[in-house]
Amino acid sequence: MSPEPAANTLSKTSCDDKPVEKQNRRIRSFLGKFGLSLAVILLFVILSVTAPNFVTARNMINVLRQVSFVGIISCGMTMALIGAEVDLSVGSVVALTSALLGVLIIKLHIPIPLAIVVCLAEATIVGIFAGYIRVKWEIPGLIVTIALMLSLRGVAFVLTNAYPIPITDEGFAFLGGGYVAGIPFPAIIFILTIALFGFVSTRTVYGRSVYAVGGNAEATRLSGIPIRRVRIMMFATTGLLAAISGVLLTSRLSSGYAGVGVGWEFDCISAVIIGGTSLFGGEGTIFGTLLGVLFIGLLGNGMVLMGVNPYLQDVARGVIILAAVILSAMQRTKTSE
Amino acid sequence: MNAAPILQAESISKSYPGVLALDCVDFALAEGEVRALVGKNGAGKSTFVKILSGATQADGGTIKIGGERISIRNPSDAFASGIATVYQEMSLILGLTVAENILLGHWPMKRRFVVNMINTAETIRVAREALEMMELAIDPKAVVRSLSLPQRQMIEIAKAIATKPKVLILDEPTSALPTHEVDELLALVRRLASKGVAVIYVSHRLQELPRVVDSLTVFRDGRQVDTLPIAEATPERIVHMMIGSEWKRKQAAIHQVSDTVRLSVANLERKNRLHDLSFELHSGEVLGIAGLLGSGRTELLRAIMGLDPVDSGCVFVDGERVNRPSPLKMKRLGVGMTPEDRKSEGIVAMMSVCKNLTLSCLDKVSWRDMISISRERLLAQKMVESLSIKTPHLDAEAKSLSGGNQQKLVIGKWLNSQVRVLLMDEPTRGIDIEAKNQVYELVRDLAAKGISVVFVSSEMDEVMEVSDRILVLNGGRIAAIVSTADTTIERLLTISMSEAR
Repeated sequence: MSPEPAANTLSKTSCDDKPVEKQNRRIRSFLGKFGLSLAVILLFVILSVTAPNFVTARNMINVLRQVSFVGIISCGMTMALIGAEVDLSVGSVVALTSALLGVLIIKLHIPIPLAIVVCLAEATIVGIFAGYIRVKWEIPGLIVTIALMLSLRGVAFVLTNAYPIPITDEGFAFLGGGYVAGIPFPAIIFILTIALFGFVSTRTVYGRSVYAVGGNAEATRLSGIPIRRVRIMMFATTGLLAAISGVLLTSRLSSGYAGVGVGWEFDCISAVIIGGTSLFGGEGTIFGTLLGVLFIGLLGNGMVLMGVNPYLQDVARGVIILAAVILSAMQRTKTSE
Repeated sequence: MNAAPILQAESISKSYPGVLALDCVDFALAEGEVRALVGKNGAGKSTFVKILSGATQADGGTIKIGGERISIRNPSDAFASGIATVYQEMSLILGLTVAENILLGHWPMKRRFVVNMINTAETIRVAREALEMMELAIDPKAVVRSLSLPQRQMIEIAKAIATKPKVLILDEPTSALPTHEVDELLALVRRLASKGVAVIYVSHRLQELPRVVDSLTVFRDGRQVDTLPIAEATPERIVHMMIGSEWKRKQAAIHQVSDTVRLSVANLERKNRLHDLSFELHSGEVLGIAGLLGSGRTELLRAIMGLDPVDSGCVFVDGERVNRPSPLKMKRLGVGMTPEDRKSEGIVAMMSVCKNLTLSCLDKVSWRDMISISRERLLAQKMVESLSIKTPHLDAEAKSLSGGNQQKLVIGKWLNSQVRVLLMDEPTRGIDIEAKNQVYELVRDLAAKGISVVFVSSEMDEVMEVSDRILVLNGGRIAAIVSTADTTIERLLTISMSEAR
């Protein structure tokens, strides 16, 4: 067997570690771990100085509620991206949930709790369906969910004839607009979701399997982990979370409307990517996603308060996503050297 | 053959850290001569080919083409000096036409308006020229996907011929082909030779050599043992030259293999890959599987694990038939596999050592699907110690470990899930000699503990060293099952290199 020269040079360089390089690496790994936290804090400080009325309790609560809708879905999207999948249908699931709620509650007079359960179940089943197609025919989840993105929104518009259906019920309005101990109810759901998924991703067999599938699906399959089930589960999760977010949003808007949630899939993916999750799977944290969600939320809020042109706001978001991805790519190539 | 050599290599040396891969090799090849290169793995023939093709550089020595000294620093130097190499793995783009593939990357261009476009007519003309020279009746406009495997192999050669080489190197050109489709290729090589192309033909299939080569050079331990006309080279003589006399069988630990059959395979059949394979594996036995590249070694293990579908046949574990095997099902039955390609199938490179070691036994360190981190780390730590895996700490990424230690991770993962049968596919590939010895020792230890091991390797001496019995595969069939004590390495080599029935 001829020896592997590559392996030899590799071990050589790690022996020749210079102290300066070591320090650089330490700085890099520090920035890798805490860079985003620092960025969020820095952004917060800058905005408190520059943006009018930024540091007020009312504004903070506002931001918290605003980020929750996308934030809840982002938890599922984080799992999907870690598992080297992506779900582009979440925005349309939000829309379908909203439309369906309107139809069920107002037109069919179904009790609200039951209507909600039906919506959540429907979205979960659609997710399982997407995952099943993904694993059954080995079609990239990207394609499957693009198809769903189109057709689910179509269904939502057909169901409602493209009209918003007003839902006026005080109990229902609480879900999106109510407060518990001064915290908006959606934010509480968001925080619980973050906690739950933080736990799931790090401490459960399922979470570990997601990382493994995203890191090396073949090795994972060979280790006797049911990777098809894991993959289907990822799509079921994004579906369910999108529906939960859809229920909260519908309540907040007091109407079921098929035009909501446009572009949310990209808002979610942006937050997850800014949060340091790899687009190629295998790496990422829920905590990072929390920071990513906060970063985008604070930035958007700050720009609104400062009266930045809405189109320029989009430009800024785009630039930041690009910067985040380039930074993580640089870190990856540096550490693998 | 007494013409002046077209290719002359003098005192070529090459060393890798710790290994002298080539030691002052002299080599001369005449115009129109077909020369076989044979030798065991690691004998130096692939290093020699790599030097000629520019994939690596020699440390010393000179290479002359047509009497003119050349230096080969990279593959394009080699092509420019008239040395073209065809590797065993296919490098064709299936969606393109034959002509586009033959001229891949240096298509003739034409300028229309302001755009550079591929000159299709010219591409086809040049490709047709190469095909005609090879006397191949393949339409240059055909899409490669529509061609048969041997035809594709010939297009691969046509690609090399289109560069009008003086020397053509064929690296195991028939290993990917089913036996009955080899003839066409051999005839092609002869035609090329008759047109003055000198051919270096690397092959393990000794039986096909007399039909295609003029002479034969044997490599062993980085040296050229001898070069002789093919008429004088009997298979026995070749095998003897390949092995030399220095190899002595280490005392294979003779131990009592129990009569209990752990795993058995009956009439396994997969079209063109596996033919009617049946064997039994006893508890505490190490069954070596020897065979050349393409003999079906990996396919057999994958079929047992349920990774690839089979056409017929079945697998039994502890006497019970396994319905539609899958890795999960086999794991539950106590069967694990360490794959040949560690990086792409064995480890999850970016995961930590600890997490890799528990990947197949998460149920053992968790309660109601919740992982107990402390139990996980304890288990991983124990395995790191018992296999002496060299890692800075449990949280180091698996990819930062050396090849040997990565292999131990994969083995450790299975030991953690308490397998009773371990299928090991080339477990020592690309790892250093010390790690190899540790793997051998480990395999013997496992057997002593009653674990059954299937040990697949293309290196006969290591199969001989670890196995109780050896199964020789040839062309997807079982050529022989022998007890290690009753056989010799010469015999194994001869069986695995002879023409498959």
